[in-house]
Amino acid sequence: MKRFDLIIVGAGPSGLSAAIEAANRGMNVVVFDENEKPGGQLFKQIHKFFGSKEHKAKVRGFVIGEQLLKEASEAGVTVVLNATVIGLYQDKEVVVKIGDGVEHYKADSVLIATGASENMVTFEGWTLPGVIGAGAAQTMMNLHGIKPGQKVLMLGSGNVGLVVSFQLLQAGCEVVGLVDAAPRVGGYGVHAAKIARCGVPFYLSHTIVKAEGTDCVTGVTIAQVDKNFQFVEGSEKHFDVDTICLAVGLSPMSQLLKMAGCKMEDNPKRGGQVPICDEFGATSIPGIFVAGDVSGIEEASSAMIGGRIAGITAAQYLGFIDKEEQLTKCEENKKALDGLRQGMFAPKNRGKLVEKTEEGIPVSMNLLEKGFIANDEMERFPGVTHKAGVHPVMECTQNIPCNPCQDACPKHCIKIGEKITSLPAVDESVDCIGCGMCVASCSGQAIFLLDETYEEGFAAVTLPYEFLPLPKEGEKGYGLGRDGKVVCEAEVVQVKTAKAFDHTNLLTIKVPADMAMKARFYKKEA
Amino acid sequence: MENIFDRSVDLGEFVPQPDDDMIVCRCEEVTKGQIRQAVHDGMFTITEIRRYLRTGMGLCQGQTCAKLVKRIVANELKVSMDVLEPASSRAPMRPIEMEVFARENN
Repeated sequence: MKRFDLIIVGAGPSGLSAAIEAANRGMNVVVFDENEKPGGQLFKQIHKFFGSKEHKAKVRGFVIGEQLLKEASEAGVTVVLNATVIGLYQDKEVVVKIGDGVEHYKADSVLIATGASENMVTFEGWTLPGVIGAGAAQTMMNLHGIKPGQKVLMLGSGNVGLVVSFQLLQAGCEVVGLVDAAPRVGGYGVHAAKIARCGVPFYLSHTIVKAEGTDCVTGVTIAQVDKNFQFVEGSEKHFDVDTICLAVGLSPMSQLLKMAGCKMEDNPKRGGQVPICDEFGATSIPGIFVAGDVSGIEEASSAMIGGRIAGITAAQYLGFIDKEEQLTKCEENKKALDGLRQGMFAPKNRGKLVEKTEEGIPVSMNLLEKGFIANDEMERFPGVTHKAGVHPVMECTQNIPCNPCQDACPKHCIKIGEKITSLPAVDESVDCIGCGMCVASCSGQAIFLLDETYEEGFAAVTLPYEFLPLPKEGEKGYGLGRDGKVVCEAEVVQVKTAKAFDHTNLLTIKVPADMAMKARFYKKEA
Repeated sequence: MENIFDRSVDLGEFVPQPDDDMIVCRCEEVTKGQIRQAVHDGMFTITEIRRYLRTGMGLCQGQTCAKLVKRIVANELKVSMDVLEPASSRAPMRPIEMEVFARENN
């Protein structure tokens, strides 16, 4: 039987982060993961992350994964892949299926970071091939380079549903609609706006009646639901689709903890069956720790911090560091974690309708109900100003913990301030040089550069563009509104790509002057 | 009713529902109607339902249907979902061939 100081189950963001902290304090650490590749969900995340610098904001998820793997290997962590932990027994004996047999390991501490699995919903035809989880769609596209289908309907308007819908568009699929039984978009408004301006319609207060097809999905019928989630007769809508994606939440994969005898609770706020644990990730059994989604569904950034806290605490538990060092280090991490748990989407606000921003500005209801900000709602936000010459317009209207735009501007014309959730404001006394760094830095793709006096009768709009092939300069097409509908003719006058933009290209289109505040996307002439 | 161990409770007559033939546990092909009927047959806990119908005992080990089954049982018993304890977690945590399970490599 092989022995380690710490055995970690799961090589995702939290497991790897914990491993790094523990190994850097002298612990002999092994991480088992049942997948053939490490990194958990990180390698499927091709979008830029939110947060501040310390949360690795504006870095794409898979790059964070690569950084974690490198750090872990430098710290001397052993990562064993294709290794399925099949049991966690008394005295911290861990049984792992590796290759054609099982191996026994023992450790003085164990950290469970198994993550979560996708929830499903049932409707007529839900077992037909073509009904898949949004996570599965992401695995197909971003790990294996396979398009899940041609025409897709997405169920679920949380961040997973929104982000995966955008990735489906990037992969070249048509997303016929985004459906949610809830009356309002659940995820970040900026994620919703990104897909709405590509022309994806939102059907809130709607859900799936049935998937159609005999051998596989050939269509889907949705219908409106009332306040009691009952179908409204006559509201049915049909779509021809070959894929239905379900993004209806996650459940912690906590079975190992239950098996080990940890005290568990059923906590809907944390996603289901979770271990009862303290703020350091310690469970009811001394020496068994948890981190990441298995202890309550959140997202990758908080999972990484939770992992660090649990890793440091495991080191203290075994005497590799003293209590004082543990508390100091954990305190730093907790501050970072608190930073992420602020704003309108903070755990305490889950399910609540926040009507005003922290600044007291009424939230865009159109954004919550249709996925885009209405033209007449736009001017009240501090990121929207007007002046002659190039200037940024930030359509960032919800308090979310994110601030890379503030540091991106070399002229410091974007102000967020101390509070990371504050809405970005434009400092009008500073002249914008039109470099576009803010546009590329915005993980929500919500910053645009406007030149309202570009040419007599025309304005120029610079927008973030993450689709291939890139339009060419001089190309003619259409300007699309925030709702994805054609608002005017447009000409591509500049396409900028730069290493510093990290694959967010800057597309500048020339539109009629009165369309400067309306055109937010570009479509090539068919 | 918050005490699921009160077996004398009258659940009323089993009333068929239009979606009773919908498969809930895909691995073992158990329908919603079968689960509802099992509750009326006296299976009040997830463990009992599991032994009676094999829900959650197939390839995915309940990864897909555990919450769905729980919701159906809770609805039928008219209790909140958190009253129902999940089934026991046992090794092997993932399906494994007996041949592999028996081969100890260290």
